[in-house]
Amino acid sequence: MERINKIKVKILPYIGIFCFLNLWEILPRLGVVDAQFLPPFSTVCLAIQTLWQDGILYTNTIISLWRVLIGLLLAIFIAVPLGFFLEVFSPEISKRLDGLFNLLSHVNPFSLAPLFILLFGIGEKEKLAIISLSAVWPILFHTITGIRSVNPILIKTGRSMNISTGVLIKDILFPGALPIIITGIRLGVQMSMFMLIAAEMMGAGAGLGWLVHNSAMVYQIPRLYAGGVFIILLGMSLNKIILWFQTYSWFWQERTGVAEQTHIKRRHKQVSSVAVFCFMFIFSGVLFFGGNEVHKINTQVRTLPMNHDMHQHSAGMEKGAETTEPQKAYVPNFKADEDKHK
Amino acid sequence: MAENTIERIEEKKDKIIAKNIRRVYQIKATENNAGHEFEAIKELNLVVKQGELLAIVGPSGCGKSTFLDMLAGLEKPTSGEIFMDDKKITGPALDRGIVLQGYALFPWRTVRKNVEFGLEIKKIPEKERYAISERYIDLVGLSKFADRYPYELSGGMKQRVAIARALAYDPDVLLMDEPFAAVDAQTRESLQEELLRIWEKTKKTIVFVTHGIDEAVFLADRVAVMTANPGTVKEIVTIDLPRPRDGIRSSAEFGWVRHKIWQLLQNDTESAVKEGIGNTDVAGSIAPTASL
Repeated sequence: MERINKIKVKILPYIGIFCFLNLWEILPRLGVVDAQFLPPFSTVCLAIQTLWQDGILYTNTIISLWRVLIGLLLAIFIAVPLGFFLEVFSPEISKRLDGLFNLLSHVNPFSLAPLFILLFGIGEKEKLAIISLSAVWPILFHTITGIRSVNPILIKTGRSMNISTGVLIKDILFPGALPIIITGIRLGVQMSMFMLIAAEMMGAGAGLGWLVHNSAMVYQIPRLYAGGVFIILLGMSLNKIILWFQTYSWFWQERTGVAEQTHIKRRHKQVSSVAVFCFMFIFSGVLFFGGNEVHKINTQVRTLPMNHDMHQHSAGMEKGAETTEPQKAYVPNFKADEDKHK
Repeated sequence: MAENTIERIEEKKDKIIAKNIRRVYQIKATENNAGHEFEAIKELNLVVKQGELLAIVGPSGCGKSTFLDMLAGLEKPTSGEIFMDDKKITGPALDRGIVLQGYALFPWRTVRKNVEFGLEIKKIPEKERYAISERYIDLVGLSKFADRYPYELSGGMKQRVAIARALAYDPDVLLMDEPFAAVDAQTRESLQEELLRIWEKTKKTIVFVTHGIDEAVFLADRVAVMTANPGTVKEIVTIDLPRPRDGIRSSAEFGWVRHKIWQLLQNDTESAVKEGIGNTDVAGSIAPTASL
């Protein structure tokens, strides 16, 4: 009985998703919505499969992932030290800058895109700058909040032992603020994912945003949804990974109230070294292969400056059966897709 | 017996001497009030003897915690000087250990790592660190919990870890700021007994700030009674109750001394209470009037 209950609790949050996907499948098939603009979910799945087999999905996903990670790393390396510097060395100035940071965090970096294009041109630098800028504010803000939320008794204890500022930061402020900094990083990832997709839609040669945009341009609706679904999956899994880090970084937190009563089991005390190794492995893999792909794309763009939207991935697309002449054949092509899936 | 105790304490070397301590806070001007000075501590003179356990009691806001912070070197007096071993205290150092109110353990460190914190600061090599922390964790009776994290400990255990951490880097003086205020009554009593045991073993000088009269009388050799507005030491009461003091709480002598300090705190202006009480035999002077 308890086991059934457990399973119920586990399934519960996903019922909504399940219903939604079913509706997505049924409504277009019944003709309630126009299948041309909203192809059934199974069609989208097949489009994902085709894209995967052609390697297009891999290339674009890893390029997007590379951009997000590099942008995020840049943001972390700027925001976290800056936050510590402001809070530790000049808290008075930091207090006066609160309002400014708040204002700047509401600036939509995408609205500054033209400025970035002027500064960096259309290319990786411009995209990375947009991504970093959108992630810098939440991380900086949370770093400062995190440091301020460190229990003052701990700081007092440290000071009574006459510790240096370096030790204060390393042994007291940083571990104390880390969970909140990670919250900031999580928000930063969300922001930068949104910004990345937008940046890729306007003037990129590859990436998931480009895939969606390009699919729309060539009227490949299932492929458009496939790209969309993959963007969601990517965003969710990044979020999950960071959430996982956050739970671990909070392992020492005293549980009070509801969490204590629901008998949620405490996770392992600290991140196991195996998990860290796996994470580092995947992380460096993404950086390496993503960097490779990005380099390829950019050299291609440079050698084929004209019509790169059409020819960029021509090799990959030709494999995808009837997609050779997208502009001419968009309607029949779509029908052919439909037939295939029936 | 009583005379002997007094003499013993008087004979001891002066460890800490606080001279004419004054602390003034500037109150910022608001709409209703003009800015003014607030005198938190005034003319505070106090001598702490080598190896004694001195308790400071006083109403809240009398500046006793502020004074302890000054001893720790975390705050500076507006005027006046504090000397420890004839050297002026100018800032915090590892020759004074501090145990604060509330649970000041680093929650992301195990008990052992918490105890080792001060040793890390002292740059003691890891092996020695381990041996020292082992000894002090054992001293506070938490050997079984050495690898636990603070969230797994009860309030009393946490304070024992805090004491072990303060002792581990071997300071001359242990400063305690209402360390047992947050634990329940029973735990508090056992912690007090434990503190006495540790004190007798380690022979540290301890300055113990509290607002509990019982606690002060039970623990201390001498109790400094402070008054508020402005905060100053009104009276130093020598507690010549015999040690060990287990079970002494129910004795009549304990009640008398307790009552005397209570009266001192009750009413500053009552001159009757002040009469005839010096650093002499407390129980003797109080006994006729005490009705406990």
